[in-house]
Amino acid sequence: MFEKSPAKIWRNRDVVYRLKYTYCRRCGKSFYPPRARCVYCGSQDIEYRYSSGRGVLKEYTIVYQVPKGFGEQSPLVIGLVELDEGFRVVSQIVDVELDKIRVGMRVEAVLRRMFVDGPTGLIQYGLKFTPLPQ
Amino acid sequence: MKSYIVASSAIKIDRYYEKGYKELFGDAVEELYKYVDELDIDTLIISSMASELIDHQSNPAVILSDYMSIRDIRIYRVESGEASGAAAVQLADSLIKAGVSKKLLVVGIDKLSDLPVSHMAHAYMALKDADYIQIQGVSPLAESAILAKLYMREYDYSYEDLFIWPYTMHQNSPETPHAQLRFKISPDSYKESPILAEPLRLLDSYPFGDGVSILYMVSQEYLREYDSAVSVEGTGSSNDIADLASREDLLYFKTVRRSFEQALAMANIDKSHIRYMEIHDNYTPNAFLIIESLGLVERGEAPEKFENSMINSIHINLSGGLKARGHPWGATGIYQIHEIFSALTGSFKKSILGEIEYGLAQSMSGIGEVSYCTILKRVK
Repeated sequence: MFEKSPAKIWRNRDVVYRLKYTYCRRCGKSFYPPRARCVYCGSQDIEYRYSSGRGVLKEYTIVYQVPKGFGEQSPLVIGLVELDEGFRVVSQIVDVELDKIRVGMRVEAVLRRMFVDGPTGLIQYGLKFTPLPQ
Repeated sequence: MKSYIVASSAIKIDRYYEKGYKELFGDAVEELYKYVDELDIDTLIISSMASELIDHQSNPAVILSDYMSIRDIRIYRVESGEASGAAAVQLADSLIKAGVSKKLLVVGIDKLSDLPVSHMAHAYMALKDADYIQIQGVSPLAESAILAKLYMREYDYSYEDLFIWPYTMHQNSPETPHAQLRFKISPDSYKESPILAEPLRLLDSYPFGDGVSILYMVSQEYLREYDSAVSVEGTGSSNDIADLASREDLLYFKTVRRSFEQALAMANIDKSHIRYMEIHDNYTPNAFLIIESLGLVERGEAPEKFENSMINSIHINLSGGLKARGHPWGATGIYQIHEIFSALTGSFKKSILGEIEYGLAQSMSGIGEVSYCTILKRVK
């Protein structure tokens, strides 16, 4: 089960907490999560960068049939966010009334608790997105 | 050299609280004995997507074969997400073509009714990247809901316009003996069913059920021993970017197109030869995206052109599809090929199809990160 490994939470910290993404020097495109080669042109001439965490909500859904472990957060707003650096992520949208969510609104990444692994388990943190003042 | 399917079986997809993986496997084997006198096999291939996640059961091929005292043969387990069954058939085809196996069983099996829905949603989420995607609670359901909204906006469809798909699937399923949901649905029941991930509702999704389907496949030298046979004429398989966000063209499944073209090229036919297809409609928008990615209509046209379960002159999902026949994960690809085999040999939907020569099964996982196409041809 993915939520039980402290080693994994530690090794993925830059990607999960700081939006470390990949920029391809050959084709100029960026993507997330990071890969060993460019997903678009296959080049190994890549570098890792850190996002500003700001972008635009391109589309979203409100999920009511949530997986085990996410019940307390139900319903989950899952958004397709395009970051200012040109890559996209699929991420939770929080701190907004459901009827106030709009495609095209500016959003910003915030560090939040993702889930708690039982009463004595680990707490997984990660990034969610919240609306910026429009 | 080709491989041939000479018999198949499928239990009704349902919620079997009195039976586990083993007993359901036994039931499907017994069903197969109605069509063959003996199962003198040298190879067994088990397709399961989630025996570990549902039943804490690794190595299901060994456990299931032991239950039926099938011993001292080649044995494999295949897992390729929701398309595991299709991948297993393509492995079987390759083993026979290579001369390694002469007579084999391909078994698709999974049991989705043993755990609460939230656990199954959690297991389904395991299809996505465990490091970065799952921590957001994202599964193919959420991705498909986003695709639905993008599709409706791009091509100016309302939610009601999508109803043609689940409506048609539920028109087809009552006449499918092994279908899980054998009832028709109304526009009101569609619009009033619970929301899973808006805009998608319960009646846009496959149901959770238990299923086992089996194919009996042989090499050419054994063909004369059987009354019915279809050949595996062409196979195609393709993979693509695994996550939604990184894809440049969200409303097109490259893998579906590539796997289709590969299979047509191997079969040396064009798409006009195919009169019947089963496709992987895990959620309503994906059905339309598959039809468009196959190139059967222009992009954005599928909801308009889908009529009487047909696109142009091709019958699609006469079983009721994943939507109504059901989708027991690792078994689904085998159910599809069981249906094509039965249609080609005249025991499934004959009043609609008549005699046909070619059929195709398209199977994929998630939102098309991998797709398989398998073309079958009637031999006798």
